[in-house]
Amino acid sequence: MQQRNDATGTQGPGLGWRINKLLQLDAMNLVILVIAVYIIWSVISALIDNPARYLPSPIAVAMSSVDMLYKGLLPSYFGDTLVRLIFGSAIGLILGIPFGLLLGINRTVADMFHPIMNFFQSVSGIAIFPIIVVWWGNSDKTIFAVILYTAFFPIAFNVLSGVREIPIRYISAARTLGASRYQIIKDVLFPGAMPHIATGSRLSIGFAWRAVIAGEMLAGRQGLGWMIFTGQDADNTAEVILGMVMIGVTWIILDHYLLRPMEADTIERWGLVQR
Amino acid sequence: MTAKLVVEGLSHHYPDEYTGIDVHALDDISLEVEEGELVSVVGPSGCGKSTLLNILAGLLPYRVGTATVDGIRIEGPGPDRGVVFQEHAILPWRTVNKNIGHGLEIKRMPRDQIAKRVQEFVNLVGLAGFEDKYPHELSGGMKQRCAVARTLCADPVIMLMDEPFAAVDAQTRITLQEELNRIAMATKKTILFITHSVDEAAFLADRCFVFSARPGRLKAIVDINIPRGDRIWSDMNANADFLAARDEILKLVREEVSVATEE
Ligand SMILES: Nc1ncnc2c1ncn2[C@@H]1O[C@H](COP(=O)(O)OP(=O)(O)OP(=O)(O)O)[C@@H](O)[C@H]1O
Ligand SMILES: [Mg+2]
Repeated sequence: MQQRNDATGTQGPGLGWRINKLLQLDAMNLVILVIAVYIIWSVISALIDNPARYLPSPIAVAMSSVDMLYKGLLPSYFGDTLVRLIFGSAIGLILGIPFGLLLGINRTVADMFHPIMNFFQSVSGIAIFPIIVVWWGNSDKTIFAVILYTAFFPIAFNVLSGVREIPIRYISAARTLGASRYQIIKDVLFPGAMPHIATGSRLSIGFAWRAVIAGEMLAGRQGLGWMIFTGQDADNTAEVILGMVMIGVTWIILDHYLLRPMEADTIERWGLVQR
Repeated sequence: MTAKLVVEGLSHHYPDEYTGIDVHALDDISLEVEEGELVSVVGPSGCGKSTLLNILAGLLPYRVGTATVDGIRIEGPGPDRGVVFQEHAILPWRTVNKNIGHGLEIKRMPRDQIAKRVQEFVNLVGLAGFEDKYPHELSGGMKQRCAVARTLCADPVIMLMDEPFAAVDAQTRITLQEELNRIAMATKKTILFITHSVDEAAFLADRCFVFSARPGRLKAIVDINIPRGDRIWSDMNANADFLAARDEILKLVREEVSVATEE
């Protein structure tokens, strides 16, 4: 973590500047996009039969959100889902990053684990859902386990590959300076794997986000996923669409304003990726 | 008194799993470097100079022959031997300052002391004003100078340098060569300096080891008895010892290069 602080340092434009610039740039695009989607959506909704069931107009969806806000369900569902995402993916990353680093240190161990890791990262969270339900039933524990699983493997796998791609000469240089094993991990392997840690984290959090929603639909009693699920049951399509919009918008905000700037402040600053 | 660095009967083969034909890089090398001595190593490309350096650095395991420092067999890298690699190996995620101070950081020297020492070496290699830049923002020669400063700053007893000034412009190279000469004089470091430049080899070294074409053998040793204090580039054209040594090395190297290209 010390590395990141060093890298952000006093030099160059700060985070505030960056966010400002992103906001300005996006504002225009966003307005145009939203207006376009609004018009197309409204027109289709107006043309079809029974829009309340098949495709409620944007206004109807907005009304439904006002209704849910009034009942207090929306903030509560949204909060449940976010908490699950944050806890699940944070723990997944905290476990996955060191695991990947440790596996990557020794080439033989890394080669041994590589196919195993590859196997697990391809078996998606949804695919392991049934067996976890068999173990723990429809519970919070089940949802949490699936999120954790979903977040863990992409990050661990990426970090493992990242460590293996670090040029040997960087490790040699640190060794000739007298670096201990721990210092090599801290000063060479961790920062050297940073590009993969960044992409791995985004993958992990992205997958975890999907797993949260799917988990809530299959085994939950609250949350956005549950809201979509019950909305469909109750023939309340506006609520279903509201849930979908919330999911997408949350992800865009998370990705654009949190994950991307974090990436920019480390690996782009170091020249490890092309802008 | 035995020499600081002793190599005896050292040979090295690189196995090739695909063709099964090993590359014979070093053949029966024996040499000694005295404490406080600066030796240069010249030889045709591919004759095993970097291989020798990697073995001495403790980065390449070897089976045939021995290599010792103070009588102790080299088994791995250590902070007593600083290395400047042929392909500069400064870390992309550290600023110039942080790269140069890395060795001291590893030794857990207090931060303020590191900062002071780092500043000295930043000035020495002419990187003032670039302290907070990252390597990708530097030119090739600047990266190389940063790598040299990193090794000097860590203050090893033995310095192993693999063509450290190759990517530097002529003027800077002269400055760095004179600076290294001054350091050799002032610090009594033991230095093994690999180079392609015959002028550089003659200017810097107490003795020059000339290697044969691959497999690298020690072909000849040229003594250069010029007091360190007299080694200033502007005087060299009038220095008979320098000119004689340079011509001798050049002649030896030429014979080998023609062998290497006839292969
Ligand atoms: N890691 C390696 N694996 C296999 N062969 C190698 C390896 N490193 C070097 N060699 C081979 O060993 C021989 C000597 O290489 P080395 O790098 O020591 O030469 P050099 O004298 O430093 O050359 P140059 O002056 O061009 O840097 C070369 O033929 C090279 O192909
Ligand atoms: Mg070489």
